[in-house]
Amino acid sequence: MLAEIGVFTTAFALLTALYAVGAALWGERRAHAGGREAFTVSARNAVILTFLLLLAGSGSLLAALYTEEYQIAYVWSVTNPQMPMFYRLTALWGSQAGSLLFWTLLMSAFSAAAVTLNWRSHRRLMPYAIIYMMAAVAFFAALVLFVENPFDRWWILPDASADLQVVKAALIPAGAEAPSAARLAETASGLNPMLRHFGMAIHPPMLYLGFVGFVIPFAFAMSALASGDLSSSWIKASRRWALIAWLFLSLGLILGGRWAYDVLGWGGYWGWDPVENAAFLPWLVGTAFLHSIMIQEKRGMLKTWNMFLVIFTFSAVIFGTFATRSGLVDSVHSFARSEIGFPMFGFWFLLTLSAVALILWRRSRGELRDERHFGGILSRESLFVLNNFVFVALTIAIFWGSFGAPIISELVMNTNITLGAEYFKSVTPPLFILMYILMGVAPLSAWGVASMPRLGRALLLPVLLTLATLALFVADGTTHLGALFGYGIVLLAGWVALIETVRGVLARQKAHREPVYVSLLSLFARNPRRYGGYLIHLGITVIGIGVIGSTLFQQETQQTLSVGESLSIDGYSLRFDELLAGQISDDGRLMDIALVTVLRDGVEIARLRPRRDFFPQTEGMNTMTIAGAHSTLENDFYVLLVEWEPINQNSATFKVYINPLINLVWWGSILLIFGTLAAGWKHEVLPARLRQEMRAEEGAAAPTGRLARKGAQ
Amino acid sequence: MTDIAWEKSRQPAAPSRRINAERLKLYAGLVLIAAVLVFVIVNGTVNNARYFISISTLLEDPTYIGKTVRVSGAVVGSSIAYDAENLIIDFTVADFDESTTDLVSALHEAVVNPNSARIQVHVENMVKPDLLIDEAQAIMTGTLDADGTFYATEVLLKCPSRYEEAVPEQAVVSDEFNAAHP
Repeated sequence: MLAEIGVFTTAFALLTALYAVGAALWGERRAHAGGREAFTVSARNAVILTFLLLLAGSGSLLAALYTEEYQIAYVWSVTNPQMPMFYRLTALWGSQAGSLLFWTLLMSAFSAAAVTLNWRSHRRLMPYAIIYMMAAVAFFAALVLFVENPFDRWWILPDASADLQVVKAALIPAGAEAPSAARLAETASGLNPMLRHFGMAIHPPMLYLGFVGFVIPFAFAMSALASGDLSSSWIKASRRWALIAWLFLSLGLILGGRWAYDVLGWGGYWGWDPVENAAFLPWLVGTAFLHSIMIQEKRGMLKTWNMFLVIFTFSAVIFGTFATRSGLVDSVHSFARSEIGFPMFGFWFLLTLSAVALILWRRSRGELRDERHFGGILSRESLFVLNNFVFVALTIAIFWGSFGAPIISELVMNTNITLGAEYFKSVTPPLFILMYILMGVAPLSAWGVASMPRLGRALLLPVLLTLATLALFVADGTTHLGALFGYGIVLLAGWVALIETVRGVLARQKAHREPVYVSLLSLFARNPRRYGGYLIHLGITVIGIGVIGSTLFQQETQQTLSVGESLSIDGYSLRFDELLAGQISDDGRLMDIALVTVLRDGVEIARLRPRRDFFPQTEGMNTMTIAGAHSTLENDFYVLLVEWEPINQNSATFKVYINPLINLVWWGSILLIFGTLAAGWKHEVLPARLRQEMRAEEGAAAPTGRLARKGAQ
Repeated sequence: MTDIAWEKSRQPAAPSRRINAERLKLYAGLVLIAAVLVFVIVNGTVNNARYFISISTLLEDPTYIGKTVRVSGAVVGSSIAYDAENLIIDFTVADFDESTTDLVSALHEAVVNPNSARIQVHVENMVKPDLLIDEAQAIMTGTLDADGTFYATEVLLKCPSRYEEAVPEQAVVSDEFNAAHP
């Protein structure tokens, strides 16, 4: 029953999405001819209906996971009766088919939210925007239905020959019988143990929200190109959506890093794996976009460039999805080889080609001409352009290393060349250095004309503070010149952000008699984009310091210890106290836990429990090494239980990492998230009066049609 | 007031010659970034390129000996030897048909077929990965020594079978079959 509901609601969602495309197109043509707008309104309603249908479809898959309907092949492959409820439900995105449905749902949710929230403010952009977002939703709904259907069930055809008896189909084939429910439950695989982690439960939805969220800026940009409304209204419509998508993408990347650090047991958080890179690429292009739209809004420049950036952000999302989900690249987290490769590649290719063609066409008609020319090299807009180039350069370098080189070598040289993590470690640092330098200088520069002496004066205080901070690092024992250089570049960007904020507070203090925190809050309230941006810069600075520290100064050791013995590393010692073997957990896993005590200079600072989990019901990969970590702002003491003597449990082998400053990566991420929330906050809340008006409008039938007619009369 | 920096400049446009000179500077900056980009990419590619070849190619062509390459093979479970104290892993991988769509069977075939091409893999300073199990796909970077051992510096493991492509052979049989084969 649940499978039928799922299949039919998804099929109807595909139809309503296609209808929305058609109705919006027709409505736009009629509107041009001076006709009524009923079709455009109908298209909007179809967008919302599509979302509701997909919600029902995903809901039925969720219900199937909840009620353990193992006849549904997807449920059978990602859950088993021993799994706890939480992971049974998050298995909705545990594997290809389910996550594709979930992805489609999120995309339609963004579309429905955009047409609802921006209906009045960006009415002119709506018809074409609906066409583009619903075309994308329809494509993914079709993939779900025809290629990777999560509602396929196992059936038995008793009359067929032995090897054809078992078939997979969504709806019951003629003469088929359902297999024994008990046998299915017994053999169900269960979710990959590695994915049974809280970080993994929320990392994919965050990442997906980030990915699909960029469909809205993309659709608005395409709508501007298609409709010819090339004012900056598409940018105003897109900015907040781009910021929301960027926030989720950042969260997804951070949580993914945290998950790797906690679960994969190699002491790191970023491995330059192709799949990680595939998620990083849209983040980079999206960051460039969020910066350069400021130039278009304030100066009317970079119109073509912004179009390219927003289109390539979404194009990178689709390409990354294609590369990850089709088995194109070998990676720890790639999905198994799948049939969706070809259609996804086709979709990506068409989307990118048509978007680029539209831009070039509008440009050739002179409609994307900039309103101003560039001022000085030190003007803010010039520095922003350089910043954009750095982001694009990073994108190109990372794309080449992850996908370009392997694909080109395969096609042209008929060999397969891959570039490992070393490539990224040598290629990206110079570009990141440029990025941080510009991050430090650009906020101090002025629009239009800026002079070297003025900029130099503005830089004086941050440079002095940076040098003072570096002196602290040196006093603490850092002598590595490269590291000090890196810290300096990164710190400068952070000090600039801090000083600018403090200066804003001081200026307000002069004008108003109020407490400092009130000044700070009103500063954020009055100019959320600017000060939110500074907070993000501060977060990126803190992350940068954490990355430099944990990358350059990581220490590791390993040793086999008998009970009571200790190993020492960098002023710490680790004492092996006891091994608790074969502890049984609620979800059926067996845990071997080592109890260890960490001492620093003879003083006990932590007791840790590194462990190894064993999943007896799971075939194949069924063990998982969980690190124990003691975290301080200074460093992480990170210990893995590598091996132990199973019989008398007298000795065990440990691997220990000291990861300096690594927690700054997570703390900086939190700053970044707050900064992003601040930057997007103001426009979230409309004045109460306006909201009431809108609600009254919503109550009437076809509200905008009426308004538009009034305007026309 | 700090906000001055954010206001649009009210100065009249500077003489065009000055603008052109400033533009040239901007272009110079862009060219500089492009040059940095090209240099680091070419340099990084030349220094880090690794040929991804099959085990049989690696064994047949002696020119690959001593070169850093990337190979993919099926892990032979019975061969895994792990020295936990010194973190040394030794195992054998078998050549499998990579063009296949049914990776599970291809990996299985390679492991059970005694005639498949095989190499000994030696990895140092690595905690045994949880995924290093029988019939997993190992993608390894390293060099083949003249003695025939592959010294791997990086091992990437995948178990495609269990979570994605499995068909419940035993699960989906009729009740009569269950009765006959308890």
